[in-house]
Amino acid sequence: MMTLKVNGAEHAVVSRPDTPLLYVLRNELNVMTPKFGCGLAQCGACSVLLDGKEIRSCITPIVAIGDKEITTVDGLPGRWAKQRGLSPEEAARQLHPVQEAWIEEQVPQCGICQFGMMIKVTELLEHIPSPTDAEIKTALTTSGPSPHLCRCGSYAAILDGVHEAARLMSRGGTK
Amino acid sequence: MSDAKVISIHGAALSRRGFLAAGGALIVATAFRPSLAWAANRTSLDATAPASWIEIHADNTVLIRTGKCDFGQSSIYTAYRQIVAEELGMPLTAMTTVISGDTDRTPDGGGTFGLLRTNVLNLRKAAAYTREAVLTLAEQKLGVPRADLTIKDGVIAGSGKSATYGELVGGQSLELTIPVSGELTGFGGLTVTGNPPLKPASEYTIVGQPFKNPSVRPKISGETPWVGDIKLPGMLHARPIHPTTLGSKLLSVGKIDKAQFPAAKLVVIGNLVAVVSPDEWEAVQAAQQVATGTRWTAWRGLPGHENLFDHLQNKVDWSAIPVRNGRGNKGDTAVALAKSARILKATYHLPYLKHAPIGPTVSLADVKTDGSVTLHTHSQNPQYLRFLLAKMLGTSQAEVVVRTYPGPGHFGRSNGGNAGSEDEAVLLSRELGVPVRVQWMRSDDMQWSTQSSASISEISIALDDNGRIAAYEAAHRGPPMQDDRPIGAILAGLPTIDPPRPANPDGVHAAEMNVADAWVYGEVPHVHERGFGAIQIGQLESPIGVGLRDHSMRTPIQFQQNFPREVAISEAAAMAGIDPIQFRLDHVSDARFRAILTRLRSEAGWETRPAPASGHKATGKRAVRGQGVSIMLRDNGYWACACHVAVTPATGNVKVERLTIVVDTGIVVNPLQLKRQVQAGCLMGISQALHEEVSFDERAITAVDWASYPILTMAEVPDINVVLAPWPDSGIYGQGSESANALAAPAIAAAFFDATGRPARRFPFRPDYVKAMLAS
Repeated sequence: MMTLKVNGAEHAVVSRPDTPLLYVLRNELNVMTPKFGCGLAQCGACSVLLDGKEIRSCITPIVAIGDKEITTVDGLPGRWAKQRGLSPEEAARQLHPVQEAWIEEQVPQCGICQFGMMIKVTELLEHIPSPTDAEIKTALTTSGPSPHLCRCGSYAAILDGVHEAARLMSRGGTK
Repeated sequence: MSDAKVISIHGAALSRRGFLAAGGALIVATAFRPSLAWAANRTSLDATAPASWIEIHADNTVLIRTGKCDFGQSSIYTAYRQIVAEELGMPLTAMTTVISGDTDRTPDGGGTFGLLRTNVLNLRKAAAYTREAVLTLAEQKLGVPRADLTIKDGVIAGSGKSATYGELVGGQSLELTIPVSGELTGFGGLTVTGNPPLKPASEYTIVGQPFKNPSVRPKISGETPWVGDIKLPGMLHARPIHPTTLGSKLLSVGKIDKAQFPAAKLVVIGNLVAVVSPDEWEAVQAAQQVATGTRWTAWRGLPGHENLFDHLQNKVDWSAIPVRNGRGNKGDTAVALAKSARILKATYHLPYLKHAPIGPTVSLADVKTDGSVTLHTHSQNPQYLRFLLAKMLGTSQAEVVVRTYPGPGHFGRSNGGNAGSEDEAVLLSRELGVPVRVQWMRSDDMQWSTQSSASISEISIALDDNGRIAAYEAAHRGPPMQDDRPIGAILAGLPTIDPPRPANPDGVHAAEMNVADAWVYGEVPHVHERGFGAIQIGQLESPIGVGLRDHSMRTPIQFQQNFPREVAISEAAAMAGIDPIQFRLDHVSDARFRAILTRLRSEAGWETRPAPASGHKATGKRAVRGQGVSIMLRDNGYWACACHVAVTPATGNVKVERLTIVVDTGIVVNPLQLKRQVQAGCLMGISQALHEEVSFDERAITAVDWASYPILTMAEVPDINVVLAPWPDSGIYGQGSESANALAAPAIAAAFFDATGRPARRFPFRPDYVKAMLAS
């Protein structure tokens, strides 16, 4: 039996060590925001943060995780609250600024890719608080194992969303 | 109103079924015809009655039900709320709930397409009937004549008296039965009939406002369950093992090493092979193991994508399907062509395209021993899927319930019910007696789903002595893109509807090639457009009747016909030596096109001059630049698009640097959502134009993943300027979720010609094809 640290809590898991993290999160831990897109690390729908770095959970066996901290979109509000030292009451009232920006800018079309997009953008904004369009495009195209793909074509909305998220984060997360 | 009395409301029937101590509601239900008697049994006076269309509750909240689903258009959560609120005269915030898709909880059926074109008229009319019924109630309760009553913000008032919607329905169980036509589980579902008075567009206050989509927050927070997230106790995970070719039958099945995969189990139903396991990863691995050892018959019945256009031009029997004529046909093109000294005659090709949802199709079926079937899936036409499943199982439609959830956008693939996994899940659940979740892998979704048809168009344009178009001829040819047969049923050898062919009862499956691209150049005196359909490629040759199955995809058929027309018009403008926007202005007859073309010219930073550009070049390492334009009329929407591209001849690289699009959808219901739809549609269109083509050999589709079927990436996103140019006097809503994706390709092709002087009569603009075009 192995232990995984997911969104601030430790979980003992019974899945076999070669099982990709995606299947363990979804089927054993009921963490459903990482989505199955390709199983080949080609699209980014399954992205999660591993100690703050974006990885593809569909090809990462749990044996390779060790004691690193996994963050999914479900855990973004808690991650933000911890980073900002928010009280539980304050934390309960808000989502992560990236999520709030995605809502404010009405980024999703169907939305299936956005869980991975928000993970990648969170990674980006934790390193570059106010990125340019070029930096955003690089982050979502060439910085990871593959581009983060959106079939609906929400890329222009994503650019707006990242700039809004950067603005919100610079103001401490509120409008 | 006495209990027994029924009041006619413009042909709908208002009745009071009883008085209640608490609560109360007005339920707007469907007048069921005898053929739907079994469905009528599901109705009740309960406020959550599944057949209701609209429910007005005593607390002034309104529930809306629609058989349509959301695939990212947002319309059912935004525009539908706005339109119902507007017709009722209630605030948008009162529209608290939208229930969509589920066959046991929605009243109308039909496909999720034309959401703001035809489909919304159902809800709009239902709301209008409802408002009239409530006005009748108010007349009685307040004792004020109907003519003296007005409605504002949910309050009906007149002669100093007033009541809210909630007060008028409170304490009663009221039912309003509205007339409909059609079949609940037919392709088109039910249509509300009659003519209740509709609120004039000039009085709109809610339609036209930029409301946010309330379904976004729960999606983004992770609260919303997606189709792939649904779990049932005892559920097994399944992975199908599809044949190695599109014409293979099963010879022998591979084995599962039980020591390695102890819980995995093999299921074989005819040519349908699957592995199930309570552990999803075990199912994935065991299925790979079984696939390795499974033997299929050999088959070679496809032309291969490299020979596709030769095949379409020379080998397809275009006489098997009746020819369709364009609605704009007029005059005598043959005479005009014979007289002209300047003629453009060219052939244009479009490849097969994939809907290519980011998530492969997934469904969860629960078939009980009593024969009841519940399918959890996402579908653009759940009631028609219900019909298909009942047909496959040989059971009553009353036994089948389809529940729907958000899922990956797949742009029309399931508008005839199924996207691929649904029937496989049902068959496996029936076989095993437990709930079964079928998740296709990426390669299944690329190789075993339907695709948007390839097409070939021959265009002839004759210019007169003044450089104006004297005649336009088009012959559009292609397979008809509407195969709604569930693939699992085909593989299992169970009943399905017929493949597309003339004998099909439903016109949409008759294999005819409609001339779908509305003719817009009204000043052209002689026009002759024809559409030639065909049987799907490889289908008759395939021993299992599969071959390349086609299906409509975003802006279907019009996408395939607008590309050749608009590229040819741009080429004709060059032949005439006239600026391509001006050339279009010279030939359109509709003031709305003149308005958006004029607007486009200023918004796009357009250089008014003939193409090609003076510095055009087809060789060299330096990028050359060009501008191109395209226009389209679809679903009451007028569209004009300009693309600015850079072509590097030596590398064959084509980059879209700027896209400007002007859209007039008549009445804009929600400008915020429309803008996002149009932006995204444009980007999908650029993706199709630059990258997309389904590769296949003689046996199978060889595009299996995102490497072999690349789509647009973030890095390629150009500057996009979306200009909304409404025309409110049209009195009609146009749509934005389609069309936008079709404008980019012809504008890019025209810009390519402008930059290089070489015509581009096909896409994608991949380096190898581009180099070939430049060398020709």
